[in-house]
Amino acid sequence: MDITAELRKIVGVRLSVSPSELYCYSSDASQVKGMPDYIVRPKSADEVSRIVKLAYENNIPVTARGAGTGLAGGAVPVRGGIVLDMSGMNRILEFDIDNIQVVVEPGIVQDSLNEALKPYGFFFPPNPGSSAMCTIGGMIAYNASGMRCVKYGTTRNYVRDLEVVLADGTIIHTGSKMLKSAAGYDLTQLIIGSEGTLGIVTKASLKVAPLPKTRKLVIASFENAEIAGKAVVKTFSNGIIPSACEILDRVSLQVLKRYDPELVLPSEGDVLLFEVDGTENSAREAAEQIMEVCSPLALSIKLAESQKEMADIWAARKLVGAAVSRLDPSKTRIYVGEDVGVPIKRIPELLRRAQEISEQFNLPAMKYGHIGDGNLHLALFIDVLNKDEWDRLNRAVDLIHRTAIELGGTVSSEHGIGAARAKYMEAQWGPALEVMRAIKKVLDPKGILNPGKLGL
Amino acid sequence: MKVVKNEEKRNIGRAKEPHKSEISEMKGKEQLFEVDRRSVYKCVQCGTCRSVCPVFNVVGWESANTRGRMLIIKSLLEGRPPSEDVLPSLASCTTCGICAAKCPAGVNPPDVVEAARAQLVKCGITTESQEKLRTSVITSGNSFGETKDRLGWISKPERSKLPEKSDYVYFVGCFDSYRYPEFAKKTFQVLQRFGVTLLPDEQCCASPLLRTGFREDAEKVMKRNLEQIRKVGAHTIITSCAGCYTTLKNNYPEELHVISLPEFLAEHLEELRLKRLDLTVTYHDPCHLGRHNKIYEAPRKVIQAICTLKEMKNIKEDSRCCGGGGGVRIGYPDISLGLARSRLEDVPEGVDYIVTSCPLCVRNLRDAGGDIEVIDIVELVAMAIES
Repeated sequence: MDITAELRKIVGVRLSVSPSELYCYSSDASQVKGMPDYIVRPKSADEVSRIVKLAYENNIPVTARGAGTGLAGGAVPVRGGIVLDMSGMNRILEFDIDNIQVVVEPGIVQDSLNEALKPYGFFFPPNPGSSAMCTIGGMIAYNASGMRCVKYGTTRNYVRDLEVVLADGTIIHTGSKMLKSAAGYDLTQLIIGSEGTLGIVTKASLKVAPLPKTRKLVIASFENAEIAGKAVVKTFSNGIIPSACEILDRVSLQVLKRYDPELVLPSEGDVLLFEVDGTENSAREAAEQIMEVCSPLALSIKLAESQKEMADIWAARKLVGAAVSRLDPSKTRIYVGEDVGVPIKRIPELLRRAQEISEQFNLPAMKYGHIGDGNLHLALFIDVLNKDEWDRLNRAVDLIHRTAIELGGTVSSEHGIGAARAKYMEAQWGPALEVMRAIKKVLDPKGILNPGKLGL
Repeated sequence: MKVVKNEEKRNIGRAKEPHKSEISEMKGKEQLFEVDRRSVYKCVQCGTCRSVCPVFNVVGWESANTRGRMLIIKSLLEGRPPSEDVLPSLASCTTCGICAAKCPAGVNPPDVVEAARAQLVKCGITTESQEKLRTSVITSGNSFGETKDRLGWISKPERSKLPEKSDYVYFVGCFDSYRYPEFAKKTFQVLQRFGVTLLPDEQCCASPLLRTGFREDAEKVMKRNLEQIRKVGAHTIITSCAGCYTTLKNNYPEELHVISLPEFLAEHLEELRLKRLDLTVTYHDPCHLGRHNKIYEAPRKVIQAICTLKEMKNIKEDSRCCGGGGGVRIGYPDISLGLARSRLEDVPEGVDYIVTSCPLCVRNLRDAGGDIEVIDIVELVAMAIES
């Protein structure tokens, strides 16, 4: 069968087999590579269904992709086949504010959704660093979260219903607009985080949250990252729940200052950023409480003086991961081992071990991340033209993943497993991985949906 | 004369063609396609540029955004043979530079794309429109292939009075010379009082050649302009075209002091004795004046001296491209107009004119339609002088 001709019948000019185009879809922001055979940009669930059905009948792998901002190769077609570029399905279908939800297509970009929700006084809280470009579909596929998940939870907490195209092209709904349901298995939760291996999301009903009246930011610096970790544990054990709790170690600070010299950040130590939100009174009270609890451990501690100061710090924080080349133009940040997480009490230990690993392999590192939920973004950077540095990087990363598992944590807190971390699934899950494999087998018996991912 | 490449003159992490010795060191033998690897490998593929690339916004394919272009260039560096297949991607960048402004890793994609285009030219891989543009410039000295007198907009008596020596040269540019002679006349009228002269045989500034990869051809054209500038003895070149401005400033030898018309006007506001007009206008930042050279305040100062300025939705560093630059207007007219239409959506309610300071932006925005007239800043100034 002439697959190109068949696909063209479904999507017309929204099909490409040009070598240059295929190359552009052969990677995301990770180091995983895989060359697709066809790229299609569907516009409707019906088109997706017809494409998947064609693929099913002809045993062709199908990999869904949003903006390709993933850090684990989840959207990379490692076994070739069809890439479904879902970013053109980007409409907001319904603002159902009376039911506190919004119905969207998967290609909508997170920031665009929030921009549209703003006039209604609501927002969709999960906010990855890539919120300016990542799509909601990708966020659902990887259960993305971000800085505010410490208070608001992850994408998983906001999805009410999904329209999903299954491996044979069947279209199902997994939920409803109801707040709760006691009718059977929760397929919505099964699909979230399944990385496109069980079905393709073509529509989502999302719960939204009221925008807080105010946000305040406490900036504290500490002698080292380990002490900063202790301050976090102490804050939480005092019953304070910030809306964000981030760590930026001294290398990250240098990078940020190079990115924007005007940023008001401490000049020494490792820094914690605590954001609190709510009413003016509740936010002020929480900020004061944090300052009181952390002061004995901190080198310096202060409240951001203006909304602009705060907005600038957050904007820069979102970009820190990629900005390392500004410190040393010969170095590039490589997204590997960047998403480990441990139970919050073990954060100081993880920070210490990460530092040791960075020193052991003589690799400079930035340590930053959502320390409030135990998620550390360790950024290792190398000269990409130096093979020895690549070797050391790979060995260091392996150790970091194994350390996280040893500390009772996870190899991925929010970026997903994809192909990049697939080999650690066995170590992290043991026999539970067999259950996942069994589920995959039932829903995708031919294994056409995003093969080569999740260690399945 | 050696063409001074943007990246050398600005000198921070720019793409450049390495010396042959460097290439041999890297790969053991000379490659067909080579641009500075560091500039390419700095890209971490995060996709920030994807969210702002105006061409991608219209086209929708990954190859039409900056990250896609960087990936394609990377594939060529890694040994994929260059072919015409890369042209729809690499030739469709307007070099607007919003990706560079937003790139967290500090990559300068327009420079990388221009370097890649130069390599493609060396490999003989070009678009038909690129070749047409090249032929026009090298055979007629202007980007339109016009054979008419370039100074046709100025009367013979006025022309005969032009000083042979002057501290100031008004560099007119192809657009104002052939498409908007009224802009040229008005600009010259304003500048004449400051003793400005014109080049007797001005040639295209070479921007179209440099942006589209014809660096060797550009050298010849630039040389002819430079010889005349030196002969006139001018210390300052004034230009009203954003494309000419960035080329004269960043690609010609450093000895030239280049100033844009808005800067010159802003510096001489008092002498101009402008009258206040009861108008509200908005201002479109040309990419090559704004983002590339950070000239944001001068045009605003001039406008505010004349009338009320109501800003567009995206301005200064965030300003969106009109779609005209980088050879896209000629090579991909539909994409180019798509960008212009999209830019017009940023125009606020209740303005009398859209003012800009680049004839290419005027042209493209006018072609996109819309209800509000697009004018060059010199027209606004002329209104304020005449009223």
